[in-house]
Amino acid sequence: MNTQTASRYRQALDTISASVDQVGVRHQALERFLANGLPSPREEDWKYTALDALERAEWHVPEHAPEAMATEAYPGAVMTFGNGRLTQGSPQAAHAHSLAAHADDARVRQTLGTLASNAALVQVNSALWQDGLLLHVPSGQHASPLFVVHHASEANAMLHVRNLIVLEAGAEALLVEHYHSMPGLPYWHNFVTEIVLGEGARLTHLRLTEESAAATHTGLAVVQQARDSHYHALSVTVGGRLVRHDTWVNLNESGAECQLDGLFIADAQRHIDQHLHVEHAAPHTTSRQTWRGIVAGRGRGIFDARVVVQPGAQKADAQQSSRNLLLSPHAEIDVKPQLEIYADDVKCGHGATVGQLDEAQVFYLRSRGIDADAARALLLRGFAEEALGMLKDTGLAGWLEPHLAAALPVLNREPTA
Amino acid sequence: MLKIRNLHVSIGDSPILAGIDLDVKAGEVHAIMGPNGSGKSTLAQVLAGREGYTVTAGSVRYLEQDLLALEPEQRARAGVFLAFQYPLEIPGVANVQLLRTALNSVRRQRGESELDAMDFLDVVKGKLALLGMDESFLYRAVNEGFSGGEKKRNEILQMAVLEPHLAILDETDSGLDIDALKTVANGVNALKSPERAIILVTHYQRLLNYIVPDQVHVLAGGRIVRSGDASLALELEDKGYAWLLPEAGTLEAQEERRP
Repeated sequence: MNTQTASRYRQALDTISASVDQVGVRHQALERFLANGLPSPREEDWKYTALDALERAEWHVPEHAPEAMATEAYPGAVMTFGNGRLTQGSPQAAHAHSLAAHADDARVRQTLGTLASNAALVQVNSALWQDGLLLHVPSGQHASPLFVVHHASEANAMLHVRNLIVLEAGAEALLVEHYHSMPGLPYWHNFVTEIVLGEGARLTHLRLTEESAAATHTGLAVVQQARDSHYHALSVTVGGRLVRHDTWVNLNESGAECQLDGLFIADAQRHIDQHLHVEHAAPHTTSRQTWRGIVAGRGRGIFDARVVVQPGAQKADAQQSSRNLLLSPHAEIDVKPQLEIYADDVKCGHGATVGQLDEAQVFYLRSRGIDADAARALLLRGFAEEALGMLKDTGLAGWLEPHLAAALPVLNREPTA
Repeated sequence: MLKIRNLHVSIGDSPILAGIDLDVKAGEVHAIMGPNGSGKSTLAQVLAGREGYTVTAGSVRYLEQDLLALEPEQRARAGVFLAFQYPLEIPGVANVQLLRTALNSVRRQRGESELDAMDFLDVVKGKLALLGMDESFLYRAVNEGFSGGEKKRNEILQMAVLEPHLAILDETDSGLDIDALKTVANGVNALKSPERAIILVTHYQRLLNYIVPDQVHVLAGGRIVRSGDASLALELEDKGYAWLLPEAGTLEAQEERRP
C-alpha cells in the first residue's frame, strides 16, 4: 500500500480515535492491515475478485452525522444505522444494543475479535469500525424478530460495521440485516459479524444486500457453534457494484447444524463473490447449502464453497447444491463446490449446475396469456424458490418479495453464445 | 370462428403441413386424427404460436383477426387455448400462481377487473370440483412430480379457469386410464357452449366416445385427406389409417418433428 493511501487510513483512525475505545488495539490492527495490504488475485481465495478499485479510491470515515432516512415498514423491531452509526432515536429491541456503547463491557471484550481471522478486511474493520449490532440473548430466552438496517448516504465514505451476536444456551433469535443506500452512491460497506451460538441455541439470519450500483460491499460472518445449536442463514444479494461475502462456520460440537442458503442476482455490471467455509470439527454435525445464482448483462457471479470434515468427525452429513442461470453471453459464473473429507464414515454430496432459461417453458406460460417478460420473471422467481425456504418458516416472504420482484432482471431475449 | 386456408408450414427446410383448409364454427367440436408424423401436433402448435415453425404459405383467420400475426400471449388473451401434449414442469412456481397470473392477464385484455387472491380462489375451487381435483393441487409446483394423468387434468383445469373461445386439445387423451379419460372428457364437455369451439387432436377414437365431434378430419402427409362426421372415427378405429394413405411409403419415412 503506497504512503499516500497509508496516511489516509492513519488519518481516518485519528479522526475517530477520540470517540472510540481500545485505540491501542485499533492501531495494531491498522498497522497489520497497512503492512500486508489488500488481498490480490494471486491468492487462491481472491482469484476471481480484484480489489484494485477499492485500493485506488480515496475513502474517508463518514463526516455526516447519521441522518433520518426514508424507511420502509419492517415486520419487527428495527435498529437503524446511518453511515455506520446508530441513528438518533432508533428504537431498540430487547437484547439488541449499540456495540460501540458496550465496547468496554467485560463480556464484549472477552469475545470481540476472537472469532474473526487476521484477514486484511477484518484488520481494517477492527481498526476503523464505529458501531454495529450487539445482540446478546440470555440463556433460554427468545428474542423477537429484529431488523437491523444499514443505510449509506455519504459519497466515498468507508463504513466499517462491526456486529457481535451471542446466543446463550437454548436462546433463539431471528435477525434480518438490510444493507441499502441512496441510488448510485459510491461508498464502501465492510462488515465483520462474529456469532457465538451456545448449546441448543438457534439463530435464523437473513441478510439482504441491496447496495447502490456504485457501492463496494465486503463482509465476513464467522460462526462458532456449540452442541445441538442451529444456524440458518439466507444471504440475498441483489445490489452493489462489487460484493464479496465470506461466511465461515465452525461446527465445534456434535449435533451442531448449519444451513447456509443464498440467492444472488448479478446483472448489469455487478460482481458478486460468495465464499463459504464449513468446518465439521465434531462427529454428528450437519451442514446444508442451497444456493441459486442468476447472472445477466455483464454481471459476474462466483460461488466458492468449501466443506471440511475433520478427522474424527464421523457421521458428518454435508450437502451442497449450487444451481445457476447464465442469461447473457457477456455474463460469467464460476462455481467451485469443494468437499475435503478426512473421516471415513460420512455422508457428503454436492451438485452444481449452470444453465439457461428454457424457452419451451417461456412459451408454455405465454400460451396462457402471460407476456414474455412476466413469464421470464415468473421462471426466475421459481428458479430461486428452493434457496428461499427460510421465508416460509419465518413469515418473511411478505417483506422480502417486493425486493425480489424489483431485483429480477427484465430480460430482453439475449442470444447466448 | 377459425378459418384456415392453404396453410403450409415448415421446420427448417422440411415441409410439415402442405396445404391445410379447415373451417371451425362457434359451437362445433372438430376432431383431427391421423397417424404419427402426419402433422397433427404441428398444426396445434402453430395455432398457439410456438416459435420454430415457418409458415410458408396460407392464412389463419380467428374471430376476424390474422391469428398468425399475434404473439402467443395475445392469442391466449383473445381466447385461444392449447392443452399441451407434453405439459411443461415449472419448478418453484405454484399452480395457483400460474393460474391467477394467467387469468388476470386474460381478464385485463377483456377489460375486466383483476381478481384478488380470495375471489380467485372462489373461481378456481369450482373448477377443481368439476375435475375432481383436490385443492392441494393449487399449491404444488406446476406439473412438477405430477403423474401423466395429473398433468393432463391440470391442462384441463387451466382451460376451465381461462374459459377460452377456441380450445385445442393436443393428444390430451394419450396415456390416460379410462377413469382419467372420463374426468377429462367431463371437463371438456362442461366447457362446450354455442360460443365456443373445440379442436381435439387425437390418435385414437376412444376419446370421441365421450366427447362427440361434429366433424372428423384425417390428416396425413400434411394435408386433410378425408373429412366426415363422427362415424368416420369409428371407421378409422375399425380399419386403421392405411386405406387413407395414398403414398404410404413416403409417410412412413416421415417422423414427427419438433423444432
